[in-house]
Amino acid sequence: MIKIEGVTKRYGQTVAVRNISFDVERGEILGFLGPNGAGKTTTMRVITGYFPPTNGNVWVSGHSVLDEPIEAKRQIGYVPENPAMYYEMKTTDYLKYVGAIKGVPRAKIKERLDHTVERCALKSVVNKRVGELSRGFKQRVALGQALINDPPVLVLDEPTTGLDPKQIYEIRQLIKSMAGERTVILSTHILPEVSMTCSKVVIINEGEIVAVDTTQNIGKSLVHSHQVELVAKGPSRKIVESISAIDGVGRVDTDGDMYTVETEKDKDLRSQIAKRIVEEGFELLELRSRSMSLEDVFLKLVTEEEGGERA
Amino acid sequence: MRNIAEIYKREIRFYFTTPIAYVVMIIFTAIFGFFFYRSLVYYSELSYQLMQNPTYAQRIDLIMGVFSPVFRNNTILFLLVIPPISMRLIAEEKKSGTIELLFTYPIKDVHIVIGKWLAASTIVALMLILTVPAPFMAFGFAGAAEWGPVLSGYLGLFLMGISFLSLGVLISALSENQIVAIIVSYGVLLAFWFLGWIIEPSSGKPIGKVLGELSIIGHLNNFVNGVIDTKDLVYYVLFIFVTLFLTLRVLESKRWRG
Repeated sequence: MIKIEGVTKRYGQTVAVRNISFDVERGEILGFLGPNGAGKTTTMRVITGYFPPTNGNVWVSGHSVLDEPIEAKRQIGYVPENPAMYYEMKTTDYLKYVGAIKGVPRAKIKERLDHTVERCALKSVVNKRVGELSRGFKQRVALGQALINDPPVLVLDEPTTGLDPKQIYEIRQLIKSMAGERTVILSTHILPEVSMTCSKVVIINEGEIVAVDTTQNIGKSLVHSHQVELVAKGPSRKIVESISAIDGVGRVDTDGDMYTVETEKDKDLRSQIAKRIVEEGFELLELRSRSMSLEDVFLKLVTEEEGGERA
Repeated sequence: MRNIAEIYKREIRFYFTTPIAYVVMIIFTAIFGFFFYRSLVYYSELSYQLMQNPTYAQRIDLIMGVFSPVFRNNTILFLLVIPPISMRLIAEEKKSGTIELLFTYPIKDVHIVIGKWLAASTIVALMLILTVPAPFMAFGFAGAAEWGPVLSGYLGLFLMGISFLSLGVLISALSENQIVAIIVSYGVLLAFWFLGWIIEPSSGKPIGKVLGELSIIGHLNNFVNGVIDTKDLVYYVLFIFVTLFLTLRVLESKRWRG
C-alpha cells in the first residue's frame, strides 16, 4: 500500500531523516514511534507530499510522490500535528471546501459530509466556526477533513497530543475502528498508544530506523534479557552478592528493599533466586517476573544507539 | 478548473467575512470621490473663465480636465490600497500553518496561485466598479458624453491594479510576515514607479528610454488619454505573467528546501 524506499531529507546541512525504508500493508495500523525531533514529522511530510524527499521515493497505492504527486496525494488523508485550519470558516463549509479541493464529485459531497460528520461525531458543531471549537473538536474536524474524500490511507501526526484523557480514548477508538478498512500511519512518542492501537511498529531515532516489527514481536525479538523483580529484607549488599552468584544472572539493581535482577533471555531463574535468598536466611516478601514493556524496549534501543555513536 | 474555483470562493469569502474588503473599498471610494470632486470643481471654474476666450475653450474637455488627472492620481491610491489586499494571500497561510494541509491536497500550486490572484483581482474590479457613478455624474452635468477614453482609462487602471497585485502575491510568497510583505510591496512598487525618473526619458539616452518603458506607471498614460496601445497591453500582461511565474518558482523552491 505504502512503500518508502531509501528516503533521505536534508534541510540545508542538517539531515532530518537518513535512508529510511519500510512498507505498510493494506489495512495495517502502523505506529511510528520516536522521541521528539527524531524525524517522524519529516517522514510524514514526505509521505503526504508536503515536500519531496532529497533522496529516495515513496509510493502510495503505486503512485510515486515524485512523479504523480496529485494521484499520490489523492490517496491520503493527513492530520498534521497541531492542525492549522481555516478558523474563520464554519465546520460544514470547511469540510465541503476540503472535499471539493480533494475532488469529491459535486453530487456526492452531501453524502460524504453527512458520513464524515457522523463518523467524527461533529453534529453539535456543524454551524460553529472552526476557530471557536475546543481542542478536542478541532482535532476531530482535522480528522474529518482527512476522511472527507474517503481516502484509503490515513496519516496522523501525533493525533492525541494536547487532548484530555476522554478525548484521547475517543480518538484512539476511532483510529482502531478503521483497522482493516484503511491503512493508517500514526506517529507518536506515547508508547502505550502504540501497543493499544497499532499492529506494527517502526521505531525511529535521530533520523534513522532502529526497529521494525509487529507490536507483539518487538518486545520479544529485541530484548536480550529478562527481568525479575523481588522484595527482600536483609543487608542489601549481601543480598546482591548472593543473587549475583547464581549462574545466568546479569545486573542487579537495588532500590531500598526492591531488587531488579536481569537474567539471560531464555532462562527462568525465579525458583533458584527464591531458594538462594531463603537459604541465605533473608526474608523474601515478593518475587515476580517482569517482561519488558515497549517503553523499556524503546529506551533501550534509543540509548544503545546513542551510546554506539559516542563510542 | 474546479480547484481554481474553490480556492477563489474561499478567498472571496475570506475578504468579505473579515473587514478587509469593506475597509479597502470604503477608503478607496472615499478618496477617489474626493479627487473627482476637486477636479470637477476646478474644471467648472476653469470653464467659466474660458468662456471669455473661445479659442482656449475649444481645447479643454472633461477627459483632459477631469478624468485624466483623476485616473492619474488613482495610481497613488492603488499603491496605498492594493498591498493590503495582496499581502495576506500566501504569507498568512504560511504563518498560520494552513499551507501544510493545502500543500498535501491533490491540487497544483498553479491552481492555488491563480485562484488567489483572481479573488484579489475581483476586489480590485469591485473597487473600480464602485467609482462608475462618477463618469455618469460628470457626463450628466456636461451633457456631451465621451465614453471611449473613460472606458480605456478604466481598462488601464484595472490592468495596472492587477499588476500591482501580482507583484504583491510574489512578495507575499517570499515572506511569512504580513507587515514585511506590505512594506516590501510599497518599496518595490515605488521603485517600479521611479524607474522612469532615474534618467529623463526625453534626454535621448537609450538607457533612459528602457527604464522609462519598464516603469509600471508610464504605461497608464495612453490608456488615460483614450489610446489602447498593444505595447502597453503587452507590458501589463507580461508583468503579471512574470510575477505569477516567479511566485510559483518561489513556492516550489520553498518546498524543496522544506
